Amino acid sequence: MIRYALTRLALLALGLLVASVLIFVTLRVLPGDVAQLIAGVNSTPEQIAAIRERLGLNQPITAQYLDWIGGVLRGDLGTSQITGSSVAAELAEKAQVTVPLGILALTIAVLFSVPLGVLSAMRRGRADGTALSVGAQTLAAVPVVWAGMMLVVVFAVWLGWLPAQGFPRTGWSTPWLALKALILPALTIGIVEGAMLMRFVRSATLQAVGQDFVRTAAAKGLTRNTALIRHGLPVVGLSVITVLGLQVAGIIVGAVVIEQLFNLPGIGRMLVADVSGRDLLKVQGELLVLTGFVLIVGFIVDLVHRVIDPRQREAT
Amino acid sequence: MFRRTSLAAAALLAAGALVLSACTGGTTPTPSNTGEPDTDASAIIRLVLEPGNLDIRETAGAALDQILVDNIYQGLVSRTPEQEIVPGLASDWTVSSDALTYTFTVREGVVFHDGQELTPQDVVWSLQTRKNTSYWRDSARLANVASITAEGQEVTLTLTQPDSSLLWNLTGRAGIILKEGDTIDYKTEANGTGPFVLDTWRQGDSITYARNDAYWGEPAQVAEVVFDYIPDNQAALNAALAGEVDVVTGFDANLTEQIEANGDFTVELGESTDKGTLAFNQTSGPLADKRVRQAIRQAIDHDAFVEADASGSTLYGPIPELDPGHEDLADVAPFDVEAAKALLAEADAEDLTLTLTIPNFYSTTIPQILVSNLNAVGITLQVNAVDFPTWLNDVYTNQDYELSFVLHTEARDFENWANPEYYFTYDNPEVQELYAQSLAAIDEAEAAELLAEAARIVSEDAAADWLFSGASVVAVGSTITGMPSINVNERLNLAELAKR
Repeated sequence: MIRYALTRLALLALGLLVASVLIFVTLRVLPGDVAQLIAGVNSTPEQIAAIRERLGLNQPITAQYLDWIGGVLRGDLGTSQITGSSVAAELAEKAQVTVPLGILALTIAVLFSVPLGVLSAMRRGRADGTALSVGAQTLAAVPVVWAGMMLVVVFAVWLGWLPAQGFPRTGWSTPWLALKALILPALTIGIVEGAMLMRFVRSATLQAVGQDFVRTAAAKGLTRNTALIRHGLPVVGLSVITVLGLQVAGIIVGAVVIEQLFNLPGIGRMLVADVSGRDLLKVQGELLVLTGFVLIVGFIVDLVHRVIDPRQREAT
Repeated sequence: MFRRTSLAAAALLAAGALVLSACTGGTTPTPSNTGEPDTDASAIIRLVLEPGNLDIRETAGAALDQILVDNIYQGLVSRTPEQEIVPGLASDWTVSSDALTYTFTVREGVVFHDGQELTPQDVVWSLQTRKNTSYWRDSARLANVASITAEGQEVTLTLTQPDSSLLWNLTGRAGIILKEGDTIDYKTEANGTGPFVLDTWRQGDSITYARNDAYWGEPAQVAEVVFDYIPDNQAALNAALAGEVDVVTGFDANLTEQIEANGDFTVELGESTDKGTLAFNQTSGPLADKRVRQAIRQAIDHDAFVEADASGSTLYGPIPELDPGHEDLADVAPFDVEAAKALLAEADAEDLTLTLTIPNFYSTTIPQILVSNLNAVGITLQVNAVDFPTWLNDVYTNQDYELSFVLHTEARDFENWANPEYYFTYDNPEVQELYAQSLAAIDEAEAAELLAEAARIVSEDAAADWLFSGASVVAVGSTITGMPSINVNERLNLAELAKR
């Protein structure tokens, strides 16, 4: 087990290193740079060159990479080339919106998808089960943007219960206002992600029904549903955990879209703004942290799997 | 999964909004603007484009001028929304008869936001440092200034040659007065003399100003102004309908009915100096032929852009109505498909394929109209929508393009037509000479006439096409007064803003 964890950890570190190179190189392919943006459309080539020089953009690309990655290894993500503030501090500030948004979205997704997914599998072939399944298919196909707009029209514009956009300027010092601002965005991501998850839970449950041990339990006198719930659901739980790991990446992508739509000052919106501002040092830091987060979640999911699934433990 | 079906979404939402307006359309507008202004009020203004940083010295972009000039930073002279030059930190000024000496009387009792008093030495230092620091914005606009000196409260600028644009330039970035040797971090802090002080900047979200209680002039009528950056017009509409903002600038006039539906907002259309500029790279290829460029201009139905925007006006030359030297040049390029076809045939340029490079934040209506208009005369237009930094790199810096569209917002920017190095690639010595004469003219009317003459030549040369002159579309809440509506994308002076 420990050997497995260490191997996995080494892979994680290697993954991050490769990611750092990929992030750095792909960003350098983007045309245009921050010096041109600072100088604008009434500037001379000399002005642009002077700004470029001052920002250190003329250094060779390998030197720039080593400079950056050296800083990262020392725990310093660098400073924004535009605002001059620390990337880590900006990330920490924006995380106050994105992290709660992600947790809320994931909670909403799990809360409705697991019970409904199991139910729709258990009621397979009946009208209600089919309706649930079709409903989930439809919801999963809905674009996040559209779902968000509809929720805004109903809950913010018509009913006036929740804000249409934005995050309170007072932040979490007014917890109720902050939470209210996140409900619609989290619902938007949660419903769409949850609908995908529900389809997955349904098929995992259906698979469990066909498993030998569930059939054996049923043959030994349990009803089919009791057999499924007692012996089948733990297996379903395992696969759900795996998918949840993947879903975290989906939620990050969802946050990028949703933060634009709802005008939330989170990591997703900052990332988009920084790319179009060519604040590459900042974008690098943001992408590396997000990639690291997804890789770590994957790592934890693997470990958890290992710990709770007896079949995998025996395999080593 | 996150498909960008914004068109479909917009259609559905429009349907939703129609239902919505049907629900609320019957209410009568509440009486507004009664009573005294609430001096404790906080006014929330939706803006579109957030500045990257607040460094007024160095960072380009109308997003900085819009909020920082007038409200935070001031110059010796200022300008009204109607583009008139008025006193600022100078209470008065005189110009010598040879137009070579400008003498300004600096106001007394002006303090910077940090409490230090403004001295004429700050003025001299600010102007001199800007002139000497080439990468500060508009440094070159002080090129004709030979010396800047102070005596008592008087500051004197001596010029090497007359410069009819000097006073105007001093109302903008070139004239901003900073505290001598200030050590603030200009990117995130501000220390000016204006009626508001920078309170907080929540990057990626909003900027908050508080009233400057030590202001030398009439104090601001609101305690606080919040600039809420909402890039999307639909989100801005929702925010307005949900009562989350007091003013919506940069609005879409097509949504007027929806935002006015319950009587809380009135849409005002102000003039602007925004010029929708279709640039032609005329260095080589078919566009080097004036007949081809003229054909493109005559193939374009300019009214279609005004209709699609539900605001603005047509523009047929480089100078908008708000600027000196404007004249109606509609006769130069009337919409005439047959004439366009004839010109193309004459130039032996039938069956052309051209590429338009356009920043992707502009409405897709613009390329759509162009594609269909040009298609009608046998030109295939390929649209290359790119992000703004790519446009800056490919079109602006490398001049690697055929057609380009960008909205040039700056007022009085004719100089670019007299600069053959500029990405317009337009090089006509006659225009350059007329522009130089206009700058050197002592009489304002004469300067404007020379500009008008130069502008007509630029248009007759089909140096570019001007698709439209944008409007400044502002939806003002019924509790708000004193909100400017002219050219607010360029400058937004909130000295008179009040909330009741």
